[in-house]
Amino acid sequence: MSSLLIKNGRVIDPRNHRDGAMDIFVQDGKVAAVGKKLKQAADQVIDARGLLVTPGLIDMQVHFREPGREDKETLETGSYAALAGGVTSVVTMPNTNPVADNQTVIEFILKRAKELDLIHIFPTGSITKAQDGAMLSEINELKNSGAIAITDDGVDVQNEGVLKRAMEYARTVGIMLMSHCETDELTEEGTMHEGWVSTQLGLPGIPAASEDLAVYKNILLAEETGARVHLLHNSTIGAIREIRAAKRRGAKNITAEVSVQHFALTDEECLGYNTNAKMYPPLRSQEHIDAVIKGIKDDTIDAFTTDHAPHIEPDKLKPFVDAAFGFVGLETSFATMYTYLVKPKHIELPKGIAKMTVGPAKILGLDKGHLSVGADADISIFDLKKEWTVDAKKFFSKGKNSPFIGKKLTGKVVYTIVDGKIKFENGKIVR
Amino acid sequence: MYHAVKGQVLIIRIPVVGSPSMNAEVHLHKKPPSEAEHDLNQFRKGRDLTFFDLVSIDQVTQKDLALLYDVARRFRDYKTYKFSFNKGYSQVNAFFEPSTRTSSSFDLAAKQLSMDTAGVAGNSSISKGESYLDTVETIDAYNVRVIVIRSKESGVPAMAAKHTQASIVNAGDGWHEHPTQALLDGLTMLDHFGTPDLKGKTVVVVGDIMHSRVFGSLVRLLRKFKAEIRIAAPLTMIPKDVEKFGATWYGNIEEALKGADVVYALRVQSERGANGFIPSLREYSKMFGISRKRLDLANENAILMHPGPVIRDIDVHSALAAADEQSHILRQVENGMAVRKALLWLLADRLDGKVKKYTRK
Repeated sequence: MSSLLIKNGRVIDPRNHRDGAMDIFVQDGKVAAVGKKLKQAADQVIDARGLLVTPGLIDMQVHFREPGREDKETLETGSYAALAGGVTSVVTMPNTNPVADNQTVIEFILKRAKELDLIHIFPTGSITKAQDGAMLSEINELKNSGAIAITDDGVDVQNEGVLKRAMEYARTVGIMLMSHCETDELTEEGTMHEGWVSTQLGLPGIPAASEDLAVYKNILLAEETGARVHLLHNSTIGAIREIRAAKRRGAKNITAEVSVQHFALTDEECLGYNTNAKMYPPLRSQEHIDAVIKGIKDDTIDAFTTDHAPHIEPDKLKPFVDAAFGFVGLETSFATMYTYLVKPKHIELPKGIAKMTVGPAKILGLDKGHLSVGADADISIFDLKKEWTVDAKKFFSKGKNSPFIGKKLTGKVVYTIVDGKIKFENGKIVR
Repeated sequence: MYHAVKGQVLIIRIPVVGSPSMNAEVHLHKKPPSEAEHDLNQFRKGRDLTFFDLVSIDQVTQKDLALLYDVARRFRDYKTYKFSFNKGYSQVNAFFEPSTRTSSSFDLAAKQLSMDTAGVAGNSSISKGESYLDTVETIDAYNVRVIVIRSKESGVPAMAAKHTQASIVNAGDGWHEHPTQALLDGLTMLDHFGTPDLKGKTVVVVGDIMHSRVFGSLVRLLRKFKAEIRIAAPLTMIPKDVEKFGATWYGNIEEALKGADVVYALRVQSERGANGFIPSLREYSKMFGISRKRLDLANENAILMHPGPVIRDIDVHSALAAADEQSHILRQVENGMAVRKALLWLLADRLDGKVKKYTRK
């Protein structure tokens, strides 16, 4: 029996349309009361005056590298990074070693997450065995062992016939399929967004059409099969246009996300061969960013993610074409959203929070991302006035690579609470 | 045009515009070193470059160009004369990708400045798993003054430059840049026209623009010289948004050549055919190869240039390659020696005492 009272904070709980000064009383890991001037006696009290209180953030696309590449990240260090970013639930991608194409890997991740008792970890299984794009994984068994969705993220199922069958099979099993949309024949050796910057740097480009075509293909097949399909990390004008059109046609089985870097940074971050800015999808040019922001405004986009992808430094200290794709985003995602969407007044703060809480929860079918009485007490508390400069040395993640390094962001996590327990407080993990 | 050989004595006529010495004939090779070096210093006039590493033409200012060319023209007069400017300094030519002409040119240029040189050919340490950065930092620890880098990947010299005390010279990186090639090409053009820039001149670059590091540097330099830039190639060989360099694309070579003052042909590699950029070298040559007939579409005083190696009868018809009066291909090579000597001297032997900033990784 433990209790916690969070007093005087500005509570934004988009699912319950709350935005105002309120107290939250937490008992035994659940939200027990929300309201003004609560009088309950609590074991612990947090004075959140001047601070923002939200449902714990949910990031539905992260890479924690365990099992296999514990030198890059572990479930433990990844969880620390999540807590430092106010993220209380994550969905891990299956491109571990071995690939999460069987129940053993899923069960290992769930067991380890339970032992760690830091955040909620929801693993995904792969669509195809060893993510080879050819043979379906034993998807029913993956689901039964606890996989929340299937995806071949990192690569994409290139063969349309295999993808169609995977969707049909996923619908049979009753599991969501998440697609990393990329057309290999158009990407070829591409290493950054194809455009003026790639031309200046003499780097092979990834045309926007590589993503557009794959998004379109996935939408067609989702409509054809009726499978529950989620489109990962969309970043192009064409992707947003096709998703919007599908939703207007009434496709209720299709959802889509944007990774926060894709509304924040342009491909100019790659100038000087900055491998910290190398990722897939690549950082795009301004017109794509504008389209992405429009897609956020009109809710074509349902959720924000990070695609948190840690690497060891030698993998980034390479010629740009050889460097690894991806960077660590968990510790900067909220501030990125606040700094690049809310401060320039593209959207209101509750909408930004919705896309990081109730938005992903709905996609995943989780009863999380809100602060209703009785809900899991996953709560994050932010200082919106705090300006800070991103410093790789201070990352909790093992990955020290980010295009945000050196950038000034606004908004910082003060407390992260999981199941009613304070797990992160003023820059420190609480164990 | 620049020199004639009479027995063992070099007779040099200097066609240089605005150079301090306009003597018609000078016996340079007999000059004692002190006089020769004093002579070069007269051309240098105490100036230094604004950069410590040459990675991109973007770094090169108009003042840098003036200095480099003033000195390069004088070095050219001295041909293979051995100066002691860089004595005591060393240079490593790190050619991670095979090279014949550029590596030998850099090596000779350094030796004619009395530098000790060592060569790295191929990438044995890289293939053993060592990172470029570790390899370059190892070379840097020999306390060399200059590291010349050629790599098949774009950006290796830029990355190296941040982490070495030595000056890094980009000798060609991936599809990005090959700045000394552009500098020698610029010198060749300016000297042909006898002008301080290329205002009002039209330069047509034809060939595999997308995969060309030569184009990457040349287009940046031509812009600095205010030339009109035309590019001619199938769209498969044109990189995205290239017009932002100030270049205009032509799908028809004949139209591109009309009124051209410089015709610059780039090599088209045979493997591009296999990758679907062109159907065949045969078709490419028919559509874009520079023939006598096509060259005649250009202005009367136009010159033909090529960075080499020329694939005869594909990029440029055989008869035009070296022998033709309009061909400046061998003059480019000669200017390459002079420009590289100027660069290596100015980088290694700074007069202003400024020291490069770098961090170890």
